[in-house]
Amino acid sequence: MKPRHKLFASLALISFAPAAGALAPPVRVADDEPAEEEREATEIEDYYFAVTGGDIYASGGEVLRGATLLAKNGKITHIGYDVEIPGVDYFQDMPEEDRNFLTETLDATGLRVYPGLVAISSSSLMGSSGDIADTANPFGQNLVLALASGITSTGSSRNVVKLKRYVEHDPPRDFDFSSILLGENTYSSLSWSGRSPSGKASLREKLSDAAEYQRAFRKWEKDVKKDKELKEPSKKGVDSSALAILKGEVRARFGADDRDDLLGIARLAQEFGFRPVIEGCREGWTVAAELGRAGASAIITPRTRRDKSENLVRPGGSSIENAAILHAAGIPIVIKTQSGGVNMGGIVGRDIIHLPVEAGFAVRGGLPEAAALDGITIEPARMLGIGHRVGSLAVGKDCDLIVTDGDVLHYQTFVQYAVVDGELAYDKEQELYYAHIRPRAQGEVAPQEKLDAGENLDDSDDDGEGDDGEGDDGDDEEDDDGEGDDEEGDDGEGDDGEGDDGEGDEGEEGGD
Amino acid sequence: MISNTLLPVLGLLAGASPAARADILAIKVGRAETISHGTIEHAVILVEDGRIVMIGEDLPVDRGIEVLDRDPEWTAMPGLVNCYSRVGLDSKGGNDSRPLQMASREVYPASKAYQEVLEAGVTTLGLYPPGNGIPGQCVVVRPVGATAEEMIIGDGAYLKVLARSSASSKKMVRGGFEKADEHAEKERKAREKWEKAKEKWEKDKKKKKDDDEEKGDEKKTFDPYAPPEPDDQAAAFQALRDGELSALISIIDSASYLHFLDAIGEEEFAWDLRVPVTRELNLFHLAGKIGATGRRIVMEPTISLHPNTMRQRNLPAEFAEAGAKLVLIPRSDSISSHEKWLRDTGEIVALGLPREVALRALTQEPADLLGVGESLGSLDADKAANIVFLNGDPLEPDTRIKAVMLDGSFISEEVPQ
Repeated sequence: MKPRHKLFASLALISFAPAAGALAPPVRVADDEPAEEEREATEIEDYYFAVTGGDIYASGGEVLRGATLLAKNGKITHIGYDVEIPGVDYFQDMPEEDRNFLTETLDATGLRVYPGLVAISSSSLMGSSGDIADTANPFGQNLVLALASGITSTGSSRNVVKLKRYVEHDPPRDFDFSSILLGENTYSSLSWSGRSPSGKASLREKLSDAAEYQRAFRKWEKDVKKDKELKEPSKKGVDSSALAILKGEVRARFGADDRDDLLGIARLAQEFGFRPVIEGCREGWTVAAELGRAGASAIITPRTRRDKSENLVRPGGSSIENAAILHAAGIPIVIKTQSGGVNMGGIVGRDIIHLPVEAGFAVRGGLPEAAALDGITIEPARMLGIGHRVGSLAVGKDCDLIVTDGDVLHYQTFVQYAVVDGELAYDKEQELYYAHIRPRAQGEVAPQEKLDAGENLDDSDDDGEGDDGEGDDGDDEEDDDGEGDDEEGDDGEGDDGEGDDGEGDEGEEGGD
Repeated sequence: MISNTLLPVLGLLAGASPAARADILAIKVGRAETISHGTIEHAVILVEDGRIVMIGEDLPVDRGIEVLDRDPEWTAMPGLVNCYSRVGLDSKGGNDSRPLQMASREVYPASKAYQEVLEAGVTTLGLYPPGNGIPGQCVVVRPVGATAEEMIIGDGAYLKVLARSSASSKKMVRGGFEKADEHAEKERKAREKWEKAKEKWEKDKKKKKDDDEEKGDEKKTFDPYAPPEPDDQAAAFQALRDGELSALISIIDSASYLHFLDAIGEEEFAWDLRVPVTRELNLFHLAGKIGATGRRIVMEPTISLHPNTMRQRNLPAEFAEAGAKLVLIPRSDSISSHEKWLRDTGEIVALGLPREVALRALTQEPADLLGVGESLGSLDADKAANIVFLNGDPLEPDTRIKAVMLDGSFISEEVPQ
């Protein structure tokens, strides 16, 4: 909590400077610890949360540099410039005890503000599944790690949940378990595989029965107006989930990688008029046009591999360009990590906390950056049926956002803050996990010029050296953690090394 | 100062009833930890009829009163109170809600364990019923007696409730209060019905009088109102609401506490917390929130680790500082845990828990939790003479218990008299 006070304090002082000489002395708001009784004098009705000075990646791919985002009671009310923040830009003279609102301000100068990431599926981030409102653990390590990787919402077995962490407030607020549940997963998992011809036949039969019923129902709807005695067609023998798919109530979800299966699904979808979601889709790039025409969506894991079948002449196997080609064919891309949990063993970097890295890998294969960002924000949100609440930064949507020190798709970038429902839920410097790696420059000693975060961070560090001198040097020397030192070394090399690495790797991929 | 004010009273007492003198015992020790009013040096404790009559610094003792002059190094403190225990009990419980099940039914006086914990300084035990869910109510016993009746000094001390992060656990708590609501509604209706019937009966009676009809078998009075019998759930949860019963909520982590709060909603009743101090207990997240309630929290004197680190955390000290009323219990129900109880407590005192809080957490606070705080838990006049004598500071690691007094009589003493 303390640093937040500090942030608020420093910001408040800056904005008060021109207003000095007003009735109340500016020190009042900047007070680190307002007296308890005074706070309780007026009941707090509105909670404001403002992020100032950051580059805001708003919905529609717009980037507002150095803009302000203001949220009231967890919903975004303003994004843009000249946004007035209550308690800072107006009502600042009102004594704290008379205020019926509380304003929290986060200075994101030099940082980027993205919507909170959405993981299409995950496991064990909010505790065990089932009735999430009665089982959620808002304190878990996995939850914090997920927030640290930028994820603020996720599909979790049948539920769609918001990663709400318990945040201590002064004055205290109740923790609302019901706000965790965003919705229920509206999927019907279907199977369509060349290995099971009977399965394919039975699915086709179910769908055609349902279609038959729908036709009969529509006819009855029309005819019953003339003849009231007409009986409604019987639903007997009609598969309810097939009917729901045709009605558009749920989306059909297939797990398929094989070219033939993908084509089969595309044709089935076109025949019966539904839009399939295809998970895997590793050979999708070979039939992208067909999938696009069928209105399919794809959930892909760009780093998974699949060898081409040696028996076939046609193109096949996985491709680093898969996401890019599918996207070019108009297929909405949702990016998913190989593992839905937080894994501490095995091959590192393929679990849920590496979701942005996974998306970055698709960019390497040619997917536009905006599409990759959409693939971990708004697209999965839409697919989970929560696109109206999360997945992008727009007025009216939930204030779920992350503040990063660089491009979210860059491997070097860290999430500095995560905000859920207008509450600061994660602060890198306050947690055990990443605080020691490239510590954030403190507001007081940081260079004032704006950083174009990420790549240029090194330069700023160098510049900062002059200002804070001792502090930074001390840190480096004291850092007995080998990892930290390595990181610093990498930074030193900077952009050149990065470029080389990238090309080299790509060459290898091509070879595959 | 105390001795000055008490002097005349003592003389009066001793003079007024010389015959009782023989029953009075004066014990002189180097110091006494009274819990209620600090430490008394050169303390004299007067015990009569199993109760402490008087305690003070250097009280002059009348002739004729038996004096036990102990080593000046000796320290006296109130008998330890273990309010959360299954010592001597071995039944198994279910996983449902049985709020009226009493642990008093399974007290087994012949168990050797009682004598052993008594020798470890424990003079009062709160024994809880077994099982998960809502297993029932706790019984307060003194660890001595030939029959259960002799041992039991209080029943229904608290209702044990296991609060977990699960739908079933939350439903059990919510369901209990719903049952109480249902019963209240049922009773209201029954009363209405009875009142209507009574009204009608009175009218009829009047009418009959007017008609001057006489009938021999006519009832003179209407049956009094008999409220419907509440079921176990309704009875217990209504008792909680009415303040006749308090609950001890067993939680295991921060999440289970929040879920418990979610389950009770606006419901107000007396409850305290029990949390086993596990290796990486994450309850520190809520220290402020729980501390602000000022409720009791029952913990073991154990140092835990900040999750995923080797950083030590003294959670009992953190909660005491946050404002919670700390209650300490032995680390387990084994005899050796009872024997190490004071030493374990000394460990967390050495690591930051205030000494007076720790001593209180072993005596008065658990006694209050068990509802017997008026009659024991501190060295004060009119309280039970449950006293532990040690050869030094109770919380120092090399201190040993030298004697234990329960209700005025020595149970064990290393040095024969």
